[in-house]
Formats: sequence, structure tokens, C-alpha cells
Amino acid sequence: MDQETVRTICYLARLEIDENKSEKIQKDLETIIDLIGSLQTIDTSDVEPLYSPLEMTALMHEDIEKSDNKKEKFLENAAASNEDYFLVPRVVE
Amino acid sequence: MSIQFKSIADLREMLDDKSISASELIQESLELAKKYKELNCFVTMNEEFSVKKANAIDVNKKTSSRLSGIPLAQKDLFCTEGLRTTCSSKILSNFIPPYTATAVKKLEDAGSITIGKTNMDEFAMGSSNETSFFGNVHNPWKKGYVPGGSSGGSAAAVAAGIVPAATGTDTGGSIRQPAAHCGITGLKPTYGRISRWGMIAFASSLDQAGPLARTAEDCAILLNTMSGHDAKDTTSLNSNVPDFLENINQPIDGLKIGLIKEFNLSDLDSQVQARFEESKKAYEKLGAQFIEVSLPNISASVPTYYSIAPAECSSNLSRFDGVRFGHRAESTDDLNDLYIKSRSEGFGDEVKRRILIGTYALSAGYYDAYYKKAQQVRRLIKNDFDNAFQSVDALMTPTSPNTAFKFGSKGTQNPVELYLEDLFTISSNLAGLPAISIPHGQVNSLPVGLQLIGNFLREDQLLNAAHIFQKNSDYHLAKPNLGDF
Amino acid sequence: MSWETVIGLETHVQLSTKTKLFSRASTAFGASPNTNVNLIDCGLPGVLPSVNKEAFYKAIRFGMAVGAQINQTSIFDRKNYFYADLPKGYQITQMDLPIVIGGSIEIIIDELTKTINITRAHLEEDAGKSIHDEFEGFSAIDLNRAGTPLLEIVSEPEISNAKEAVAYMKAMHQLVTFLDVSDGNMAQGSLRCDANVSIRKKGDKELGTRTEIKNINSFKFIEKAINFEIKRQIKILENGEKVVQETRLYDSSKDETRPMRSKEFANDYRYFPEPDLLPVIISDEEIQKIRDEFPELPKEKEIRYQQEYGLTAYDAQIIASSKSMADFFETALQKTKNYTLLSNWLIGEISAYLNKQQIEINESKLSADKVAMLINRIDDQTISGKIGKSIFEEMCTNGSSPDEIIKSQGLEQISDDGAIEEIILTVINENPTQVEAYLAGKDKLFGFFVGQVMKLTEGKANPKAVNSILKDKLK
Repeated sequence: MDQETVRTICYLARLEIDENKSEKIQKDLETIIDLIGSLQTIDTSDVEPLYSPLEMTALMHEDIEKSDNKKEKFLENAAASNEDYFLVPRVVE
Repeated sequence: MSIQFKSIADLREMLDDKSISASELIQESLELAKKYKELNCFVTMNEEFSVKKANAIDVNKKTSSRLSGIPLAQKDLFCTEGLRTTCSSKILSNFIPPYTATAVKKLEDAGSITIGKTNMDEFAMGSSNETSFFGNVHNPWKKGYVPGGSSGGSAAAVAAGIVPAATGTDTGGSIRQPAAHCGITGLKPTYGRISRWGMIAFASSLDQAGPLARTAEDCAILLNTMSGHDAKDTTSLNSNVPDFLENINQPIDGLKIGLIKEFNLSDLDSQVQARFEESKKAYEKLGAQFIEVSLPNISASVPTYYSIAPAECSSNLSRFDGVRFGHRAESTDDLNDLYIKSRSEGFGDEVKRRILIGTYALSAGYYDAYYKKAQQVRRLIKNDFDNAFQSVDALMTPTSPNTAFKFGSKGTQNPVELYLEDLFTISSNLAGLPAISIPHGQVNSLPVGLQLIGNFLREDQLLNAAHIFQKNSDYHLAKPNLGDF
Repeated sequence: MSWETVIGLETHVQLSTKTKLFSRASTAFGASPNTNVNLIDCGLPGVLPSVNKEAFYKAIRFGMAVGAQINQTSIFDRKNYFYADLPKGYQITQMDLPIVIGGSIEIIIDELTKTINITRAHLEEDAGKSIHDEFEGFSAIDLNRAGTPLLEIVSEPEISNAKEAVAYMKAMHQLVTFLDVSDGNMAQGSLRCDANVSIRKKGDKELGTRTEIKNINSFKFIEKAINFEIKRQIKILENGEKVVQETRLYDSSKDETRPMRSKEFANDYRYFPEPDLLPVIISDEEIQKIRDEFPELPKEKEIRYQQEYGLTAYDAQIIASSKSMADFFETALQKTKNYTLLSNWLIGEISAYLNKQQIEINESKLSADKVAMLINRIDDQTISGKIGKSIFEEMCTNGSSPDEIIKSQGLEQISDDGAIEEIILTVINENPTQVEAYLAGKDKLFGFFVGQVMKLTEGKANPKAVNSILKDKLK
């Protein structure tokens, strides 16, 4: 696992690793990847992936309104908000 | 009369025959929590509300439910309205949910009283409760030893007799393994049995809520209340919930129990192995028959799990971005900086590791080799279980390869070391099958757990087999000394 | 050097369901910020999505209308990326197994029909809205829109110029409104268009590098944005340079496209099947029901209007082409039988008024019932057509009913022959010179007498009766 890859996945995950920890993290990641890479030896040709242990299909709901909105509580939990909106540092598109 | 170490059944009797009032019961439970604060089981206490509710129950006098007035601890992964919910993470250290998880609501509606939120491995990622932002939980049996994880706080609270039962969640063994290390009973139900609404997601296709208690019977009581279809969780089963107590006393003559060939038990600590052999004999005496079965792909469980769980968690944890709730870093340059700093400050190392692995496993070029491959092997593992259940009713394994260990003695150099703790428990999460861990003795004064894995929707069979074992043994009655706390 | 333009359009249609795709929060437009937001839409820890079946039904209706294949089993996937208005840090969309595959839309340019094929259409949830310039130093996030169902329709790159692109979008607009799939309002964002534009040498088989233009919210801007981009790319290629593959925004104030702020890393969305949602299966019964309840499309209405209501082909085509107009017509039909007069008014006076005001009929103060009433009053001779026009003006301004106006202003037509005869006799007596001139052969003066009668009756005399009695008296 090269530095470039680590940088990329850190960015995709919006995480940064401390300088002093980066070597250990990289090593840890390599060890884990070795572990999960061991599956390569298993023959899975023609095997359908199992994304959920339930052999069920979705129950859908009717198009009828049912609000559980708690605007004040939602905004209260945010680190920055005013009476109407969540606030973040200004984004320039 | 002390309530410590009493089961739900015991406490129900005491409440019903008025030898204790609900208020007295709650007071004692809260005092025990304070007394054993050093265990570090709890992250947040719910004292004021608990006392109020207990008072109301005493005034009302009508107690139609088994759980009315019973103190319970809830794992801090379940959202509880108005009561801080942290997942033992810095990133949620100030989060007050505006709603309550269905599983918890059902228990509370049935009259139980939530005395507090229990400590856990951060975001349920761990097998030792050593990754909590709020510090390690001690194993009540030995100070400085892990209780197991991720539901370490819940297990310790029950083991120490502070509460008769608690809720936990199990994604790779997080109910069963701490139950084993703490000498109590823990059940992971069939995937979909209990609603995941309000249960903060780690790995969506693996997570399940479940009870930890002193007995299989108490687990059945909790399971009866917690289970059921929830329209808000479309992955919750639409099947009828049986009364799990109904056939719990059935004799288990003729019960066919499978021993998994591929789990080479001779690799284990000889004492752990010895306990296993003893319990096998005990079950035979009770009428069970043991058959060897082969699950050829089961050894691939750990790598399979560690491809899938991190992948799902890497996505589930993206909502922790500092924008609408949770920790937000100060003085950031722009939105991206806000994300990076908030998340990096808010998450611990194990969580970061798993997010990174998950991101990697899903990324372009690697998806087929890691994530998709793992889901394919997952199907093979499930097929193996389906095959085995053609010839047996349940499977039996040790819950954990070893007993509890000292803080910091595993996984610090190599995280995979800790992952292998889940060797016996992980496969049932992959297949969505129910499994239970019951205490069956001690090795070097530390509890050892026995695991039974059941067929889809057959928690009743597991509870029955566990209960009969407990009726004919007294391992589950053992209590930790707690002198060091 | 001869260049060829290749355009593919991605259309996002906001479905007109009452509630969101994965929650039961309302989708009503214009709600106060962060009020149409359920726990799920806020992306709070522990929440789970649940699927709105009406969204699927609308998507399937669309698929049927364009002759596409409907995937009765479809799944949802997560598209992972970070943005302030994306609460969960991922969008639930459909990647590998979308609800609709294939299909086509016909466009008509200069009376020639061209078929544009559709690659696929899938359901996904909309993001919230960020407001960047209202609060100093902050961007404000409103999650009302987060979770609204979108149908993303991807066309094959078979569109050759801006005019065709506009025609395609207009056809799309007509289709989704007639199907009751969406209100298709580009200005409000319920119909959005991203254009992928590339240029290649005429005859080349390979596609050139394409750019994606976003943020186009009117038919007019589609044409301008695409034309600008074509010119821009041709210029680059003629200079021997390469077109950069990028996303560009259309700036309508400057009439140009410019690159979006470049991102450090290309986004890897890490799609994987949504583990919180199981596969969606649409039954054969549900498919049949949708077919059975399929709404009437413009072409069918055109035919029916001609056959049942005797409209001309031209008139039928105009009224049938707009859903709001067609709905208006069909409602008014309940209250009047003079179909021809009704359609004349719709295409004439009413359309002229709407065009002048730049509004749709359902945005005006006119109601089908009241217009039908007006038609009836003209038809039964209570008022003349001319008076009708002035009543109409008032209806447009106040929305009042014709009967009220007629009563309050005393506008009833004078149709009583006796009364008219009296007035005509008065006019004849007061204008002897003109009478003499007329009888001497100045036929044109007939109009003068009619005018005088109208003046005396304030325009209310029944023109037919005036004509016939006047002719009689002026012998």
C-alpha cells in the first residue's frame, strides 16, 4: 500500500492521520489488507453475492404524509445554526 | 434484601410480593452503579428520570408487565430521546437524540426503567472495550482485565449485579463475547428479529440488538418485548414473534447438536478446551446427540467479515461530519477542512482504521476483489450453515478462543490479533443466524463461555437448550468478588 | 474543417409525490426552512430509509410512456461523497439495476421527426439546498429538499445541436406533466438539465472529449449555454488544443460557461448496494394497474378532441399540447356544449392574454367554470361577443364570474325586437341626411347606423337583430 493510495483513501474518508502515527497506520492497513486478501484463494465463480442475510424484498410505504420533524431540536444539536438553518463555513462553488 | 445479582424473575417476585418497592429497587440499583463506579460501565446516568418513573409505578400500583419497574442498562449505541447518546465516541460526546430507538422504547413502554447508558467500544468496533473515548471498562471478575467488547459496559453492569439485564448489540460477537468474558448469558437474535431503528449503525447487514442477562430465561423475557416488525426498519422481519418462554422448559432429548469439524479445538488453551468437553458431556447427559458437521468455508469468516463490516461502516459513519450534530472542530478554513478536522479529532484510531479499510475495499479497482468477493464468500458460508442445519438443530462452539485478558495485551502491535477473538462468533452474523453464549465455568478464575448457534428464527430452540443446561448446572449463578472495586 | 456536435442530456425530474422517496415528510414547495425534514432526512444517527411506492409507480409510468423496459426487480445503491447539503454523506440512488432501461422520445424539428434514444432512468434522492450569500461568512443549509424523489433520465448522445436539445427538453416537459409524474417546472427546479457536449470532426466515429454543463434552468438558457459551449470547444480545437474534460456552470448573466471550482481529487463514489433497503419487486398486478390507469397523452387527446368535440386538427393540437390547457378545456367542457366557441376563445383571446402575461393558464385568475359560463352567455345571446371581450378582461384581473359582472354592470344584450326597433327608429329619425344618402346608394353607411344603435344601447344591442331590423326599416 503506497503513500499515494493512503493519501487518496484518507481524503475520500475526510480523515487525516497524525504524522507520528502515519507509519503505524499504514502498517496496520497493510496487515488488514493481507487478512482480507486471503479470500482470493476461494473459488467464487458463479456465486451470487449475499448483500443481506434476509431473502426478503422491500416493503414499501404509501405516499401519505407523516411528519416527525423537530426543527428546533435538529438545529439545537448543530455546532452552528440560527433559528432556520444549519451553518457551515461559506462554500464557494 | 439486596437486589444485587438478582435476576429479572427474582426481582419480579420481590416487587409482586411487595418485599421491595419500585422506588427502593431503583434506588439500590443507582447506588450500586455509584458504588462500582470504578468498573466504568456507564457513560451517562439517568437518575432523575428513573426515580420519577419508579415513583409513578409505585403510585399506579398496576403492574401488568413482567418488566414493570425492572432497572435496565442500555448500550450507548441506542438513541434515547433527551438522554445523551455517545457510542463512546468523542464525536458524539454532546449528542442528545430527539428520538428513542424502537428496541429501547419497547422495553420502556413495557415498564422497565433505563438507569443509564453503558460504555462500549467506540462505535461498536472492538472486542475488548478498550477503544472507548470514556476509558476502558473493567471486567468485574478481575480488575485491569477486559470485559470483552463491544458491549463491555452492559456485560459488566449485569455481571456486577448492578442491573439484572442490559441491551447490547452484536455485529461480530459483541454481545456473546463480553457475555462469555463476564460470566453471563448473552443472545444475538436472528438478523431482523429486532428493529434497528434508532440503533446507531455500524455494519447495517450485520448489526443486531440483543439482551444480556443472568439467565437464558431473562434473555427470553427481554427478547419477547424487544422483538417484532417495525415499519420504520424495512429490514425487520415480518414474521410472527413467538413467545420465547413458551417451550423453554421442554426436555432436550434427541436434540441434535453439530460440532464444526473445521474449528480445530485442539488449538485452544487446554483448559478452555477441557471446559468445552465437560459441557459436551453435560449436554449428552441431558439427552443431546452430537454429530460432526463440515462447514468448509467457515475459516474464511474473519477475513470476510473484515471486508464487509468496515466497508459498510465507512459509509455509515460519513454522516458524522460536524455539520448537523456532534463534534465540530474549531477554526477551520473551509468545508473540507471542517470535515477533515472534525472527523479526525472526533474518531479514535480503531474507528479510523476501519473507515480507511472500508473506503479502500469499496474504492474503484478494489471493489470486486475485496467487497464483492467477500459478499460472495458470505453466501458460501451461509450455504454451509444451511447444509449443516439439514442434519442438526444447533451448532456448539466455545464463544471465545480464550478468557479475558489484561488491558493492552492484545492488538496493540497488530490489530488482527484482536480480530481473531471473534473467530467463533463472526460467522453467525454473516449468515444472520441466532446464537447464544452461556457461562460454563472458569479458567484461572475467569469465566468461560459456551456458544450455541441456531437455525434461522430458532431462538426458541437456543433458549430452551440454554435454559435446560442452566437448570442442571450452577455456572450462571457464580458471582464475581468485586473486592477490588 | 467541418465539425459535428454530439450532445447527451441528463434530465433530473422531481417527482410530484406528496412525500419524499425514503421518508414521509412532505415535498410541498415553499415550506419554511427545515420544516419538511423528518428524522431520516436529517441523516441523524440510527435512522433508516423506507421506500415510497408512489415514486416507483411514477417512474414506471414514465418508462411505459417511452416504451422502455421496466425492471420489476430493482435495487438501490449508495453513492458516497461529502457535501454540506448531503446529510448522510451518501446519496441513495440506483446504479446497477435501475427501474427503467431504454426507451425513446420523439422530437420534431422543422416538421421532421427525430428519435432520441434513452439509455436508462433511475430513482434517486435529491440533496438539500445550500444558500451561500445570505449570511456573512457562512453557507446556510436547508434540508427541505433533501430526500425528494428524482427520476434521472439519461439520453444517448444522439442530439446534434442546441435546437434539438431544447425540443427534447420540451418533449420531456410535456411528457412528465401529462403523465402526472412531475409538474416539470424548470424555474422551481422540478425539471433540471445537465448537458454533456463534445465536438468531433465530421465523419469521425470516436467521440470527442466532453464537458458537462450544469445549472441550466430554462429552455432559453439550454439553447444559449449549449451554443456557447459549442463555439468555445470548436475554437479550442481549431487552435490545435485539447478540450479539458470538466464540469462547467452556465452563467446566464454573462451568457457563458465557466469551469466549476476544480477538485483536488477526482471523486470515487464507491457505489455499493444499499444494505438498509432490500430489493424492490414490482408485481405483475401492480404493472397491470399502472397500465390500466395510464393517463391520456397529447396525441390521444388530439384525436379525441376532433372526434368527440368537433375541433379542427389545428385547434386540437394546440389545446392538447399543454397539460394545463388540456385540463382547463376538459373541465370547462363539463359546463358548456359550445366546444368550438370554447376552443376559439382558448386559442384566441385567452392564449393572447397568457402570452402577454408570460404565465400558464393555471397560474392565471381564470377558472374553467367561469370561462364556460362566459361562453354560455355569448352562446345564449345574453351578451354579444364584443361585450364578452370586456367581461373577459375583468375576469382576468379579478377572477370574478361573468354573471356577476353582467348583473352589476347591466351588460345584458338587448334582444327584444320591439326595443331594438324603437331605438332604430330613433336613429333613423335623428339622422335624416344619412338615411337619404343610404337610400340613394351609399351602402357603406349601413355601418354608421349600426354604430349609432350601438352607441345608444352602449353596445348591448343584439347585432343580429339590429342588422335584420335595420335592413328592414331602411327600405
